[in-house]
Amino acid sequence: MRVLIVDDETLARSILSEHLLKLPDVEIVGQAANGFEAVKLAEELNPDLMFLDIQMPKLSGFEVLELLGERAPAVVFTTAFDEYALRAFEVHAVDYLLKPVEPPRLAAAVERAAERMRNRTPAPSAEQLSAAARPPGRTLERILIRHEGRVHVLPLERIDYIEAQDDYLSFAAAGKRLRKQQTMSDLETQLDPTRFVRIHRSFILNVERLARIDLYGKDSWLAILADGTKLPMSRTGHTKLKELIG
Amino acid sequence: MHPIFKHRGRLLLYLAVWVVFGLLLTVVFVFGAKAPVAWSLEFAVPIAVALGLQSLSFWYVVQAMPPGDTPVTRMAATWAIAGMVSLIVWIALAYGWARWLLPEGQEYSDTATGMLPLLIFAGAIGISLAVLGHYLAGAFQRSRNAERRALELQVLAREAELKSLRAQLDPHFLFNSLNSVAALIGNDTTAARQMCFLMANFFRKSLTLARQQAIPLAEEVSLAETFLAIEKVRFGDRLRTNFDIADDVKDVSVPPLMLQPLVENAVHHGVAHMLEGGEVCVQARRREGFLELVVANPCDPDRPPSRSTGVGLVNVRSRVETLCGHRASVDVDASETAFRVSILLPAVSSHTVTT
Repeated sequence: MRVLIVDDETLARSILSEHLLKLPDVEIVGQAANGFEAVKLAEELNPDLMFLDIQMPKLSGFEVLELLGERAPAVVFTTAFDEYALRAFEVHAVDYLLKPVEPPRLAAAVERAAERMRNRTPAPSAEQLSAAARPPGRTLERILIRHEGRVHVLPLERIDYIEAQDDYLSFAAAGKRLRKQQTMSDLETQLDPTRFVRIHRSFILNVERLARIDLYGKDSWLAILADGTKLPMSRTGHTKLKELIG
Repeated sequence: MHPIFKHRGRLLLYLAVWVVFGLLLTVVFVFGAKAPVAWSLEFAVPIAVALGLQSLSFWYVVQAMPPGDTPVTRMAATWAIAGMVSLIVWIALAYGWARWLLPEGQEYSDTATGMLPLLIFAGAIGISLAVLGHYLAGAFQRSRNAERRALELQVLAREAELKSLRAQLDPHFLFNSLNSVAALIGNDTTAARQMCFLMANFFRKSLTLARQQAIPLAEEVSLAETFLAIEKVRFGDRLRTNFDIADDVKDVSVPPLMLQPLVENAVHHGVAHMLEGGEVCVQARRREGFLELVVANPCDPDRPPSRSTGVGLVNVRSRVETLCGHRASVDVDASETAFRVSILLPAVSSHTVTT
């Protein structure tokens, strides 16, 4: 079994690899020290199993899974403290290990992974993964985007507006555009409705950027942003926005 | 508002004292000035109560000139003027009242003018007593406030102790450290032992320090250094530290576990979120009779919003402020890429505190 180890602590990686190497049929194909490396290595090396730390700089373990989507290998989460077990279950993790990991427990996790490979259990869907990447009960705080092999982390407050373009969403932030494959309605449900309003079939607006509203024609308006950008607004969008800003 | 209005009982008692003063005044009028009893009673009791109500304004003068902080000459001069003004107002009131009591068609009698020296005398005594009373009440209130502040401080210190116990039991810190020990045992037993010593040291120190009221800064710095040494084993090159503690502040007295939570925040909310890591800076120096303590760290502009930011900070702030009042300050300077907390405390040597 080809294994990838992801943990930001060198010692945590070393003890895991030390114990894994004692198990039969385990080959460690790579080690990643952060979420970015994890995404890159998981795609390049195509491992069967990934040991994934949850708390890491830049990207959490859950966010790594979200970015990998359906290309993600089987996952065993490792964490120092048990507070994510439920979410790990939601993303169909093979197992959930507490550090320091006892060798018999590690062997059992590897065995479960092997079992799952034999049975070909289907991977979780992209929606399940992205929902689990968010702490429970909270709205999205940042958008993860992969663009030309690089991962961009876009905090929501930097977004001016979001435009739907075919199968993609285009995020406008400070004059720059980033594209991500996602649907408008999927994203809309994850956003804080007091900060982001869908003003049009193809536009979601960051309410903070709104400068004024101009009447454009019968039943249509223009949202004028602080930087001068004009966005079309539908009648329902106008009603929603009016309700919010009064 | 005057504190006497907050309690009806107190106000009634206060007015009763002035009614007694009025009765005494009646006796003086009857026997001293040979005034009729009924008139004296009617005249003296209301003006005595009026003097009482008028004297309530002294509270604000007392507040403006706390004893101890005000030069004696200034206090004497202010009270001379305040007393004089008060006396004149009161005598004017008394004359107005006397005139009101005068039967229809009757002229001002000589009794009234003849009473002037008596009124001045009685008024001066009444006002002096009122001023004295207000200072006594002020002193009483201050001692009560001091008591309450001491209690508050105790509660906060206990809270900090509990928090520090929780910090030692911070599950991430504890289990990750144990994981590091487990890893080191496999390939570097000396380092594993070193890590055990560091952890024992940290737990022991924070247990003993938490029980004390105030400790020398050097001890607090040493606790923070131990904490960072443990975290360095975990984070490796990613965690860098820079201590710059001036020699002349090492024995300055500080509340225990004031620095440690700040350093912990710097690691967990700052450096831990950065790919390349960063440097935690701790700086202490003397500035015009104050100790300036600064903890600074870089942070990642994209970091996810933290769930527990500021709990440690809020606690540090309230303890510092309760301990030193308005003479201390805690300032936070948070930008996209850096976080900096600076604390100003009156620099009191720990030797003078303990003796």
